[in-house]
Amino acid sequence: MLLDVKNLTVGYRTDDRQFRIAVDGVSLALDKGETLGIAGESGCGKTTLARALMAYTRPGSKIVGGNVFLDGTDILALPDRQKHAIRGSRIAMVPQNPLSSLTFHMRVGAQIDEIVCRHEGLSRRQAQEKSVALLAATGMPEPDAIYRRYPHELSGGQRQRVVIAAALACRPGILVLDEPTTALDKTTELRVLELVSQLREQFDTALVYISHDLNVIARVCDRICVMRDGRVIEAGDTRKTFASPVHGYTRRLLDAIPRVNASGPVRPLRADSGEAPILEVTNLKYRYPATGLGIPFSPKKPGTLAVQDLSFSINRGRTLGLVGESGSGKSTVASVISGIIPPGSGKIAFDGVPLNRAAPERPADLRRRIQMVFQDPLSSLNPRLSIGRILMRPLRVFFAMGHEEARQEAARLLERMDMRAELLDRFPRQLSGGQQQRVALARAFAARPDLIICDEVTSALDVSVQASVLDLLLSMQAESGVSCLFISHDLGVIKRVADDVIVLQSGEVRDAGPTSDVFTAPSHPYTQLLLEATRNVFDVRPAASDEAALAVQ
Amino acid sequence: MLKKSGKRILRSPVTMIGIAVLTAHMAIAALAPWLTPYGSSELAGMPFEPPSREFWLGTDILGRDYLTRLLMGGRITISVALCGVFIAIVAGAFFGLAAAWHGGMIDEVIMRLVDTKVAIPSILLVGVLIPGFGQSVPVLILVIALVYVSGVIRTVRALALTIAPQGFVTAAVLRGESNLSIMCREFLPNVLDLLCVEFAIRMSSAILLVSSLSFLGLGISPPTPDWGLMVSEGVGYIHTDPWLVIYPSIALSTLVVALNLTTEGVANALGLDAARGMTKG
Repeated sequence: MLLDVKNLTVGYRTDDRQFRIAVDGVSLALDKGETLGIAGESGCGKTTLARALMAYTRPGSKIVGGNVFLDGTDILALPDRQKHAIRGSRIAMVPQNPLSSLTFHMRVGAQIDEIVCRHEGLSRRQAQEKSVALLAATGMPEPDAIYRRYPHELSGGQRQRVVIAAALACRPGILVLDEPTTALDKTTELRVLELVSQLREQFDTALVYISHDLNVIARVCDRICVMRDGRVIEAGDTRKTFASPVHGYTRRLLDAIPRVNASGPVRPLRADSGEAPILEVTNLKYRYPATGLGIPFSPKKPGTLAVQDLSFSINRGRTLGLVGESGSGKSTVASVISGIIPPGSGKIAFDGVPLNRAAPERPADLRRRIQMVFQDPLSSLNPRLSIGRILMRPLRVFFAMGHEEARQEAARLLERMDMRAELLDRFPRQLSGGQQQRVALARAFAARPDLIICDEVTSALDVSVQASVLDLLLSMQAESGVSCLFISHDLGVIKRVADDVIVLQSGEVRDAGPTSDVFTAPSHPYTQLLLEATRNVFDVRPAASDEAALAVQ
Repeated sequence: MLKKSGKRILRSPVTMIGIAVLTAHMAIAALAPWLTPYGSSELAGMPFEPPSREFWLGTDILGRDYLTRLLMGGRITISVALCGVFIAIVAGAFFGLAAAWHGGMIDEVIMRLVDTKVAIPSILLVGVLIPGFGQSVPVLILVIALVYVSGVIRTVRALALTIAPQGFVTAAVLRGESNLSIMCREFLPNVLDLLCVEFAIRMSSAILLVSSLSFLGLGISPPTPDWGLMVSEGVGYIHTDPWLVIYPSIALSTLVVALNLTTEGVANALGLDAARGMTKG
């Protein structure tokens, strides 16, 4: 057995000096060349477990029990110096955020050199040769050029490749990947996963793959452990587990995942009322303003074109899904319509009224009728104001309600969002992520809007929470008849909520039409690639289609 | 949260000492007129009398009771520093938020003025302004405010810049809230703890500055009792009567140290990072 974890228990000290257990008696085993997925929602202890596998814990936490046998030696019992020697050479880790795991003032090549020099004692020149070879192995086109770049000069996918190259530098027997693709776009994710599988074979490395995304685990791993509250509640062969989960929690997790290729129930299409559309956008173009210091006569850099010639309309009571990866211009569209930024050229008509000014200059009633919900629920709620004050503000601004009236209305809204009215006196930080996003939704619905813009509202949430927030949004929509512009990079989510869909890439429309049509018969190769990347692997698992998708790109 | 912080303060003996000494200083400053047996300018005895039952700490060069002057000596310094720093905090918060929120030209103008001010040594600024505008308490307060406002503007602006891109600010803009309302409702509650820490940090520095100015003859004028002034009056007799210098120095340093300990302890207990960068600006 290559890696044998017995009864591993890790705890940490909380702010109020209590000791809590984050990983509770976990046992697992990994053989040479095997791939093990560890799945679970945020806070279940999977990252803590990953670190403990390298005999490391975050400051403040402590391994309190158990053993980690690497090739038969308990590495937890080794002196610190030997632990250091093992990390990076025999067991290596790829952390979640590639930008924060690379030092920004050093060329990426030098950062790989460091590892090689430390563990293998190579000279500078030998190290450089080896690093370039590693970068080439990760499939980067010009490894010499990449070697000399700084992290900020690379894209997210390239950064993650560099980190993977660094992790593989000493040919470790085990590679621990902690959510390596969570910060990446779906198509980039697909390519990185492909790379990981390929390098695993090439380097003969065993993988421990940690993710909240069961889909990704299904793609990469032979075996899976599902964690909850620090314990492994289900473990076994990936395909078998997904086909017939034993534990109720696993089943719930699987059910909560929005399906792109589900044969299951698709949302009944809302009838087209035949009225004029609520929002009509024709030939929208948006170029970011030139950047400069804002001083007269100082040099300026021309802004980039974020949206090119976009036309669409949203009918009353219907939901338009806007899909695209980061940088596709989808958030810019949201910002222009909501009035965060002044419009570029083109025409936007909201219920016949042209939207040609930014929000502060729009009439108050227009501001009320278009509401926006943001991606990060925590940052969209003022941390120093109580939930009550947050919800009462739009009621007071738009409907001139008195304090008492507004408070009652706020309580009613909270209850409508399946939350208790006592939460009115709490502060955002005291709520869970899902509750925070419900409050943000409640704030938007407080204005009784005609159009609601949701910008990646579920991206920051766990799958199970995401499902409940989406259900809530759908039921609120059915009740109030509000139209919705729903922006997401997740096609599964879009499939669940949107009647119509537009696929954006680099500011241009690639595909458009009713959701069911676009998803069943995508006309543009980019849409096909996106669909391929989000395909739920555990529903159908054809072997060769990944390469087919890559060939399209 | 507050309960937890309270417990943390109680557990830290250093902070508790700071709070105790600070409280004693404040009580003495507030109650001094009722505690002292003599008037602060009353020539109660002969010059340089040694400590006696009548004059516990002896008398000064003019025969005034030294204990009386010592107890009264903190009042004016503390009040001047308090008013000056308060103005600096209010103005600093306003300009700092304005610079961060408006950006562009307003930001440039405010920040370049701040840079200019920082480039001039404080003591030089004070040395020019006070003789120029006349040596009086209101001028002294305004000068203190001017010395400290630049640091406050910088720290407030830096924090406000991290608040500005957050969703709740955007939401307020989309509601069509006025700039004033956005500043008061969205920004101010989030910079309030920073302002409190700034206030305490600047306070101890301002007390020292007022005392130094009095010592140099630019601050409080005689015959008002004031520690800095008392040190400067006593310094000529340091070989024969060192107590004239030592007592007011002890009073001043205990006050400043107590203030710093309290600030740091309380800020740490509340989990505010601001306390870690105790800097002058």
